[in-house]
Amino acid sequence: MLTLSGIHTRYPGATGFALEGVTFTVERGEVLGLLGPNGAGKTTLISHLAGILPLQQGSIGVDGQSLQQSRKTHPARIAVAPQEYAFFPTLTVCENLQCFGAMDHGAASSSDPLKSRISRALSFAQLESFSGQRANTLSGGLKRRLNLAIASMSDPDYLLLDEPTVGVDPQSRAFLLDAVRQLASDGMGVIYTSHYMEEVEALAQRVVIIDHGKVLCQGALNTLLASGQTELRFEQIGLSDINVRNVLQNYGQVQSSRQLIGQSSEQCSGQVLLHSHYQPGQVLLALEQAGARFVHAEFGRLNLEQLFMQLTKRSLRDN
Amino acid sequence: MLLALIRKELLVLSRDVHGLLALFVLPLIFIVVMSMALKDVYSPHVDNLAWSVIDHDDGAPVKSLLTQWTAENGKPQALPADWQAALREGKLKYLIQIEKGASDDLISTTKPDHPRIVLLTEPGLDFGVFTALGAQIQASTTALRVRSLMTNLMAKLPAQIKPEMIDVYTLGGEQLTKVERQEAGPRPTSVQHNVPAWLVFGMFFVIAPIAGLFVEERSCGTLARLRSLGLSPLTLLLAKMFPYLLINCLQAGLMLAVGVYVMPLLGGDALSMQHIQWPALFAILFAISLAAISLALLVAALVKTQAQANTVGPMLNILMAALGGIMIPTYVMPSTMQTLSHSSPMNWALEGLLNVLLRGGNLLSIRHEAALLLALATVSITLAYLVFRFKRI
Repeated sequence: MLTLSGIHTRYPGATGFALEGVTFTVERGEVLGLLGPNGAGKTTLISHLAGILPLQQGSIGVDGQSLQQSRKTHPARIAVAPQEYAFFPTLTVCENLQCFGAMDHGAASSSDPLKSRISRALSFAQLESFSGQRANTLSGGLKRRLNLAIASMSDPDYLLLDEPTVGVDPQSRAFLLDAVRQLASDGMGVIYTSHYMEEVEALAQRVVIIDHGKVLCQGALNTLLASGQTELRFEQIGLSDINVRNVLQNYGQVQSSRQLIGQSSEQCSGQVLLHSHYQPGQVLLALEQAGARFVHAEFGRLNLEQLFMQLTKRSLRDN
Repeated sequence: MLLALIRKELLVLSRDVHGLLALFVLPLIFIVVMSMALKDVYSPHVDNLAWSVIDHDDGAPVKSLLTQWTAENGKPQALPADWQAALREGKLKYLIQIEKGASDDLISTTKPDHPRIVLLTEPGLDFGVFTALGAQIQASTTALRVRSLMTNLMAKLPAQIKPEMIDVYTLGGEQLTKVERQEAGPRPTSVQHNVPAWLVFGMFFVIAPIAGLFVEERSCGTLARLRSLGLSPLTLLLAKMFPYLLINCLQAGLMLAVGVYVMPLLGGDALSMQHIQWPALFAILFAISLAAISLALLVAALVKTQAQANTVGPMLNILMAALGGIMIPTYVMPSTMQTLSHSSPMNWALEGLLNVLLRGGNLLSIRHEAALLLALATVSITLAYLVFRFKRI
């Protein structure tokens, strides 16, 4: 198990913490979705796990060993596939695998020869027919596959995938997601960061959502989504948006209530997160009694994206 | 691991066409062009220049002077109608203007009221040639006057002193003095200066490709991935260093070979490798290479973007070259600039190489320059390591 405990990080000259008391675990064989807006602290966390950034406070344990001890014996036990194409663009696919394969001294000292590891990595990423092609001439999807192949060739126990599907076509995305599932089913612990929530929802058994360096929520994906509030959305005729707000505020947290564009002031749409003790039917009835006639209404549990937005708020994260 | 990284570095370099052009072809072009262009600066020829004469005197001593001058400098051209314009435009390189009374001055025992023999040159004549012509005309007129004085004097000598006892033709300074270069190394030529100069420039040009590739690897996350595989900053720096030592070695071999074998084919002087102290040559080349690569690694560690790498590297090179006597030899610089030139690492490198290639210097004679270069290498690589160790990548 990969255990992160009480990690605090502050960059020199920074006023606040980049990471503040981050604590979570990753089991081997599971995919953990690590979510957070830009600047939340994901890259700092990945840098710690990859051994690039020394820990300031807190600890990281790898199957009972400290990260430092673990890296001494087998640094590539935790492998990273960064968001960037982290390979040598003018080398061929095979030359890249040879180079990075030779760097992994833990695997190099094992009985598994480099040649067979390269062959396995090529096969895993289905790159055999591109092995002699220069990396900078590959398509976006092939580059992502090469990135993943390099990370997986050292046969790590834990794999950090940072936005592994950015800029790829749907076919390559599907392939990459299947490949991640395969790695997890083979016993690898995967930390998967992405801004594509549907990918995380499709892959991860557990998620950790961080923002401003703090863990906002973590747990099994199903539990988090099931424990979330019910959202009700509707369009109606008969009540102004102010009247709709007045009715809704007794039942939950009003997300929006606005006049429909080009319609009269008594036509509006609304969105509300219901307090847990109210049912959607009760709210619709109350609105109807106040004069609303519904054009459309839907309700349901929050999906991951809605949960993420609810936790991290809507303000832009440009910095 | 180190070997795999070195192999990778060589593969990457071998596919970087622009980098290779900058490292090998650019200095070669400079060697050929500058050696040919500056050929006459090192051996100015005064014996085949277009010259003419205006003789208003027509006396025997002047005729004697002109006969001797023609023998040494070739026949004069016919005086153009507008000789001032011909001189101004450089069609005539110089003109000897002789006023009436010049012959009398040449045999007179008294001081003339003003010079009656004037050598006028075109405005753009090289300073070395100008000085040589001036010295030659002064020597010729002085010799004539001394002979004339001695002949007159001997006519008045007592009978026991026979004229044949004094050979007036042996009274010239050239019989008493000799000017020659110390027999330490080859004759200085533009090739002998330009090959080491542009070799130094080429060796230091590794700053641009090293910094460029380093930034590229950092920005695309490759360095971070290598660090995550447990590679220490020192290993990564050493992996960059060894391939470029090889590159510098190839540069040195190629450029010296061009000086020795190619330049004569192009009409230039051959680079002379006679009297070369090979251990000294290898030692100074090694010191230059270490200094250049270490400085390149420091620049690579400091710059943040590809644009910075593409600007800082070449700018630093050109600044060091201009200051260090690569582009303009230091001896033509004013004294303040000559003092400043000693602050350029390229000047240390060039002086070290010239000590070996031009002055036949041995290991002892390059110790000062080699020590400076090795000190630069040590400081640069230490700083590069510290920056690389503590900087976020």
